[in-house]
Amino acid sequence: MSITTNVATFIRTRYHGLVSFLALFIVWSAVSHYELVSAEYLPSPPAVAKAFVKVIKSGQLGVSLGSSLVRIAEGFFIGTTLGFLFGVAMGVSATAERLFAPLFNALRQVPIIGWIPLIIVWCGINEPSKISFISIGAFFPILLSTFEGIRSVSKSYLEVAQVFEYNRIKLLRKIVVPGAVPNIVSGIRLSMGTSWLLVVWAEINTRSAYGIGDLLSSAGDGKKPDIAFVCIIVIGIVAFLINELFGHLEARLSTWRKSYR
Amino acid sequence: MERLGTLEVKNLSKKFRSRNDELTVLNDINLTVQPGEFISIIGSSGCGKTTFLRLVVGLEKGYEGEILLDGQRLNGPSLKRGVVFQDHRLLPWLSIEKNVGMGLKDAKSDESRKAIQEHLELVGLKGFEKHYPHQLSGGMSQRAAIARALVNRPGILLLDEPLGALDALTRMYMHQELERIWKQEKITMIMITHDVDEAIVLSDKIVVMSSRPGTIKKIIPVPLARPRDRASYDFVKIKEEVLEEFQLHTEHPFTYTI
Repeated sequence: MSITTNVATFIRTRYHGLVSFLALFIVWSAVSHYELVSAEYLPSPPAVAKAFVKVIKSGQLGVSLGSSLVRIAEGFFIGTTLGFLFGVAMGVSATAERLFAPLFNALRQVPIIGWIPLIIVWCGINEPSKISFISIGAFFPILLSTFEGIRSVSKSYLEVAQVFEYNRIKLLRKIVVPGAVPNIVSGIRLSMGTSWLLVVWAEINTRSAYGIGDLLSSAGDGKKPDIAFVCIIVIGIVAFLINELFGHLEARLSTWRKSYR
Repeated sequence: MERLGTLEVKNLSKKFRSRNDELTVLNDINLTVQPGEFISIIGSSGCGKTTFLRLVVGLEKGYEGEILLDGQRLNGPSLKRGVVFQDHRLLPWLSIEKNVGMGLKDAKSDESRKAIQEHLELVGLKGFEKHYPHQLSGGMSQRAAIARALVNRPGILLLDEPLGALDALTRMYMHQELERIWKQEKITMIMITHDVDEAIVLSDKIVVMSSRPGTIKKIIPVPLARPRDRASYDFVKIKEEVLEEFQLHTEHPFTYTI
């Protein structure tokens, strides 16, 4: 499929979604054009476009977005890896479940933001604290969905594996994990969403380096709503694209499941 | 490889124990199946026929008596016994070719590829290698399951109501296919069924079981030439004999109302 047909399909299928964006844009333009709200509070679309060009040219946006993405990637990687491993262990072993499930269920009830003071005490306000924070946020969704996914693998497939004399490793590799893949991917998607939320939150609250949250926060301090608008639009677009990407991945890896349920 | 597959079952009993109860599911089963024989086990639901099959497969443990395959006591599931379940149990995330290769040690070797191809051809699924289970009909899925069970060249194939979920016409077609596969592979087959016609069309011997506890009521030989004609006198006669065991026989098999 060529790029143009791809775009055409996208516009056709997302037509209604685009309408709401357009409507919001028109309202925004009108409100600022007729100065219903002062430009101090609501920058006009051209002002935001100008600010956008400015932060791109100065390199501020690129550096900020880049450092935030690196943080997300690191925290997400640590959190999902650990979450996946614990999820698999608890999924396949009743002993592991009995050992860890109560602990994780208790910790899961703590609002993520409640960890902040402790993390700052333990890790300071630099990179490690932000990454730990994102890791914790990414850990739980993948843990739960991996666990659920493994438990949902039908016992009848396990019997097939028994008949073929699969050992534990082969059982895990060939049946248990593949069977849990759709759940795991939706867990990854949830973890990714949480990571975005947390990176912005952490950057705003433990400001120390570059990041999209820092840019946003300094825009607030400096009374520069145009920059804040740029940040919000950029976060929205990038997070939307990442979510779409994982959505496609999920749909692709789950075709077999959809046709079964 | 020499295909043996003599199954001897001696004084087999199986009890399920719950906290304060004991239920005898199978009681004193004695049965010998010769290599290359086709045996059907027929009985009403709850007679323990599936439990019997699961014991022979090795998925059910803890029994009294003996189950011997070629003189050796069974110890858990083995590649020497192929199984086809009622629900085909193909892994939905694997292509047909990979499903069929599930039981092979190294599914990528030339030898394995050849075996997979041969067995797909045997069950008439050539050209469906890359398809996924959800793209196949019930009959085709069951054929893929048969190919998967046969690919290791087991001595004995155990079928647990393999055609039970298929519609009547597909089932009759699958009877021919199963008979052809059985002849071609010269393999011992033991099939659980509740379809009397199916049992007579396919079997050398029909084992009739009664319920609570499950015991063998009668073993009825089927000495008819193959392929069998469902409308022939002898066929109907045997059907009568089987149905009699279930108190379902009609007094006058050839008096039809028009």
